[in-house]
Amino acid sequence: MRYVLTIKSENAPGTLYRIAGLLLRKKINIESLHVKEIDRKKHISLFTIEIFLSTHLMAKLIKQIDRVVEVTHAEYRRMQ
Amino acid sequence: MEKISGAQALMKSLLREGVDTIFGYPGGAIMPVYDALYDYKDSIRHVLVRHEQGAAHAAEGYSRLSGKPGVCMVTSGPGATNLVTGIADAMSDSIPIVCITGQVTAAALGTDAFQEAPVIGIVTPVTKWCYQITNAAEIPHIVAKAFHIASSGRKGPVLIDITKDAQFELCEYDDSIQTITLKSRHDPHFAKKLDRAAALLNSAKRPYVLFGHGISLSKAENELVQFVEQGGFPAASTLLGLSSMPKSHPLYMGMLGMHGNYAPNKLTNKADVIFAIGMRFDDRVTGDIKKYAPQAKIIHVDIDHAELDKVITADIAIHADAKEFLAQITPLIKSRKHDEWIGQFKKLDTEEREVVVDAELYPKSGEISMAEVVRIVSEKTKGKAVIVADVGQHQMVSARYYGFENSDSFITSGGLGTMGFALPASIGAKIAGPKREVIAIIGDGSFQMNIQELGTIMQEKLSVKIIILNNRHLGMVRQWQELFFEERYSFVHMENPNFNKIADGYSIPNELVEERKDLAPALDRMLKAEGSYLLDIMVKRDENVFPMIPSGAAVDEVRLK
Ligand SMILES: Cc1ncc(C[n+]2csc(CCOP(=O)(O)OP(=O)(O)O)c2C)c(N)n1
Repeated sequence: MRYVLTIKSENAPGTLYRIAGLLLRKKINIESLHVKEIDRKKHISLFTIEIFLSTHLMAKLIKQIDRVVEVTHAEYRRMQ
Repeated sequence: MEKISGAQALMKSLLREGVDTIFGYPGGAIMPVYDALYDYKDSIRHVLVRHEQGAAHAAEGYSRLSGKPGVCMVTSGPGATNLVTGIADAMSDSIPIVCITGQVTAAALGTDAFQEAPVIGIVTPVTKWCYQITNAAEIPHIVAKAFHIASSGRKGPVLIDITKDAQFELCEYDDSIQTITLKSRHDPHFAKKLDRAAALLNSAKRPYVLFGHGISLSKAENELVQFVEQGGFPAASTLLGLSSMPKSHPLYMGMLGMHGNYAPNKLTNKADVIFAIGMRFDDRVTGDIKKYAPQAKIIHVDIDHAELDKVITADIAIHADAKEFLAQITPLIKSRKHDEWIGQFKKLDTEEREVVVDAELYPKSGEISMAEVVRIVSEKTKGKAVIVADVGQHQMVSARYYGFENSDSFITSGGLGTMGFALPASIGAKIAGPKREVIAIIGDGSFQMNIQELGTIMQEKLSVKIIILNNRHLGMVRQWQELFFEERYSFVHMENPNFNKIADGYSIPNELVEERKDLAPALDRMLKAEGSYLLDIMVKRDENVFPMIPSGAAVDEVRLK
């Protein structure tokens, strides 16, 4: 399945690396990636990441991403 | 405000966190901090290890007995990379440690400077959190944050990398305590799940409680016992759950897992309701997941919501702290007895005793067995010592046969299975628990992985007791080669040095034990000794640890021979 992850996190060095590391452990390739600060006051960044993954793994992965200290919100949706 | 250096700010910040011990090793990039430490000799005990891996494991051992994060401090480059195994170990076993590494100056970062290693890049996947400090002013806040993250929620290792210029830089030390708040995830269905879990347990015919390291990490030992006593539930422990419930408790059924007890593994596939708390269904516990407890309704309680439904899909998955949850559910549990069901455990237990245990514990002839050593140690210490086991057969035998009576009494590397863990971990444990008898039980292979820490024991005058269960082999690997690789013994024999001479070199009193008649008296002398003591005990070279769930097999395919 093709999924889009939307992840909000503190805008801090190393956060993308930590998230990418969680994908790498499962040998998941990133199909597309976009990062931008969306809240200047609170320094929150929004990541939009597209990946291919089987459905039963997606729910586990999103919880591991959500567990990252810097991440404030993580969700996914399926792409058509 | 008076200005102080970053290094001094670090000292003040560590004191504010209640740090009394640092396990460390100096070097160029951490020298300003070591210079500041010189002025804090009275309030902080610095333990000079002999290898940075030892510092990390010592910090783990310290944390296990003190309940606080252990602290280690090393230089940049090789000092930091030497920590990595210990950090990964702490990550696997959710042990809070705070690692402080020196780093080259900010200007030199990324230039392949002398002793520069990309520490943050290396440790990110094996830390709960890590951060590089390049400004002295950040230090008070980052240290507070590091300690908070290490010891809250699911605990784990954190690392702070401090550039050398930030250690020198002057800053105003802002002592106003900054409160650190981390996000928390609240389950809106918690109350409903609590009721459902209680109802399920109350209606169960064959309920079964599995507990892990989460019990000791949240100090829930009393709550666990009250809970199982209330429901009359049989309970079994994972490797790291050991000692969270006294082994002599009538509802304690034994250890789960590959080399756990017969009944606890076999009956996993007979229970109708499994209540698993503070454990994560490690593959060494579940065996083949497809054949793991298909008949049971499973309630899984864990502080880390990423553990829920990760390996085993639970019928009720509850995100909660073990201590709080047990205190909440126990009043909802009906007082019951499950004599017939517990009788099934007893029956299989007798079988294990007859086929495996008795012969191992009480051999009449031949070489000394690992099990009889552990039995005698257990008898002589009345199950009250802290056992620090390394990795291999001796670890499984220690876990199986030491009669743990007190909590926080078994320290070992579970998740990562790190050989070389025990000697340095016993150093940290003894420092955190000076009144407790700390006994390291180590294989001859594992002993040689961090043997240099004998120097730390000597210098710190630590009364650590060391037992080498010496089978002249990498026994656990040898066992697998015997059972699963057609006895093709590939590089598992070890020609060992004279461990007594080595101990002599470190001025550690020691004995060689080769015969059964000498074993008990030697253990007496070891336990009576004021300071450290080492026993090199020659045990059978080709012993196998049973029961065993062969890898890939189901829990109820556990073999007695
Ligand atoms: C650092 C490390 N390297 C390799 C292993 C694989 N391994 C697991 S147990 C074992 C043998 C341990 O030998 P020893 O310490 O003598 O204990 P025994 O099994 O003989 O009791 C080995 C090599 C490991 N767990 N850790």
